[in-house]
Amino acid sequence: MSNAYIDEFPAEARIVRAAFYSSFLALALGGVFGIIQTLHRTDFLRFMDSVDYYTVLTAHGVFLVISFTIFFLVGIFTWAITTSLDRGLEDIRFSWGWYSLMAVGITLTGVAILAGFTDATDISASVLFTFYAPLQAHPMFYLGLVLFVVGTWLAGADWFRSWLAWKAENPDERIPLPTFMVLTTMLMWYIATLGVAVAILAFLLPWSLGWIDTVNPLLTRTLFWFFGHPVVYFWLMPAYMMWYVMLPKISGGKLFSDPLARVVFVLFLVLSVPTGIHHQYLDPGIAEGFKFIAMTNTMFLLLPSLLTAFTVVASMEHGARQRGGEGYLGWLKALPWRDPVFTGMALAGLMFAAAGFSGMINAGMNINYLVHNTFWVVGHFHLTVGTAVALTFMAVTYWFLPQVTGRALWNRSVALGQVVLWFIGMTFMSNAMHRGGLLGIPRRTAEPQYEGFEFEAAVGSVAELDAQIALGGVLLTLSLVLFFANVIGTALNGKSDSLPANGYAETLSGPEDAPLVLDNLKLWTAIAVVLVIFAYTFPLLSIIERGGLFGPEVIPFPLTLESVTTVGIALETAATETVDGATLALVGVIR
Amino acid sequence: MRISKAALLVVIAFTVPILVELRTVLAWVNVELTVLESVTLGVAMILAILVWALWPENGESGHSSTR
Repeated sequence: MSNAYIDEFPAEARIVRAAFYSSFLALALGGVFGIIQTLHRTDFLRFMDSVDYYTVLTAHGVFLVISFTIFFLVGIFTWAITTSLDRGLEDIRFSWGWYSLMAVGITLTGVAILAGFTDATDISASVLFTFYAPLQAHPMFYLGLVLFVVGTWLAGADWFRSWLAWKAENPDERIPLPTFMVLTTMLMWYIATLGVAVAILAFLLPWSLGWIDTVNPLLTRTLFWFFGHPVVYFWLMPAYMMWYVMLPKISGGKLFSDPLARVVFVLFLVLSVPTGIHHQYLDPGIAEGFKFIAMTNTMFLLLPSLLTAFTVVASMEHGARQRGGEGYLGWLKALPWRDPVFTGMALAGLMFAAAGFSGMINAGMNINYLVHNTFWVVGHFHLTVGTAVALTFMAVTYWFLPQVTGRALWNRSVALGQVVLWFIGMTFMSNAMHRGGLLGIPRRTAEPQYEGFEFEAAVGSVAELDAQIALGGVLLTLSLVLFFANVIGTALNGKSDSLPANGYAETLSGPEDAPLVLDNLKLWTAIAVVLVIFAYTFPLLSIIERGGLFGPEVIPFPLTLESVTTVGIALETAATETVDGATLALVGVIR
Repeated sequence: MRISKAALLVVIAFTVPILVELRTVLAWVNVELTVLESVTLGVAMILAILVWALWPENGESGHSSTR
């Protein structure tokens, strides 16, 4: 009998397992659509109509950044809560309830997207991950997203319930670090999803159902980015959690500083949401001043990332020195490179550093204009969510899967090869995407090859960049094949009694060194809400004032000859008044 | 071996970002490499790493670390 997670919490392990398998299904689908679009866009293999490219792109985006990431993180959050509080979930039927709601929701959304490939039904949702109006999806797409998000809200309620029950029994204890990370992340998520909830429930869903005629595209876009940037942190914070609570343990040491980790998560709670407008630097309906505020907030977000880089590397060094590592850099050799869990997370963290640099370019108002809506942005988020998050999740799968199945990992060498191959594939792909973006090559385009015009590459040629992207895509697909071989092999393995015990990293500087105020979740949430009000009230009011809640006024099309005459007279009068006004103004200026 | 096989694999993987970025960096000083030249340079770098890693250290009798 081992002390694995499944032995301690068998009922919860089933939920975590279901969440993981849902996540992996989405990863498989998203991966298939990824390689199809890569080969299509680079013109290496085009077997579908370019119109379908946008359906493929939508499926790639939604399956990977919504279903894969979020299903995985609800799995590890459930693990984190139960393990760190050392208690099961309060009501397992409720937990299956939120999981089922998420599963039903994403199935509806997925079916709406995939139905776009066939003419047998008029259902389609080729609206890309951002579903900007005036692109309109079938109501099933929006409804599915609503159910999915409500499922995550209930999951959060489940975890808060566990914490409150634990707190009642341990009133003087500090919140255990993994639980603290889950709670702050969920508080941020509750605030962030308000934007997309309003966008869908008040505007896009009624619009797709025909209940309202129009929407204000700038308003729904802004509400989307109210959610769209913090969702990045909803993916990243679980990855950060793994770097804080698992990486030091796998390295053979302890977490350098529990208080610093708490500060980082508080900063993410406070700063993640009032930044979304930095995705809208080129939207003409938002005043530059508001964009400047969003830029300032975004730049502050570099602080928790830099703190994380310091803490995690310090923890790794501590682990390496515990293993006999010596010298300024010699300790690097003592790290457990043979362990795919460690190597995957370390490589993911390293690529995240590169992502941070390209992110600063995106966040800078002036220099953003150079790369806005170009392939650069795609290169950037393939380093963040596509590597820092996805590679971390795949790497920790090699630790978690045995814990929740009770079966030993199928093949550790294949796992090591998989994480290294992902690193190499993503290096090729994202490098070429960034460089392509600097040449002005657009994103979200099925055929970015134009007659009579060629993008001029500073180094090499565009054809070489395309080849590099295709090569990267193929390597990433191979890496996914290895990952799924290991997942399936592990699931089919026999039960093992020699699994490592469930647990997470101890700390060098523990919670007793952290100021009590850090655990005051009400205070940090209140500050986060105030910052959101400051950042968003005036932009939203201004957008509504200019374009109306439901967009510009709808003028009925003239259907009779009489109405044409009336409209003609009205237009003539308006034009005459305008010319008169302009003449008077001109005369005034000349005088 | 000077480093473990797994560490060697990671070091070789690291040559990829160095190689793809080096091509751009060299272009700044007017050294433009073709794809073939870049690949040749990459193979040479990997061979050099292999020689360094596999060359026995003083007093070492071919013992391989399993880290």
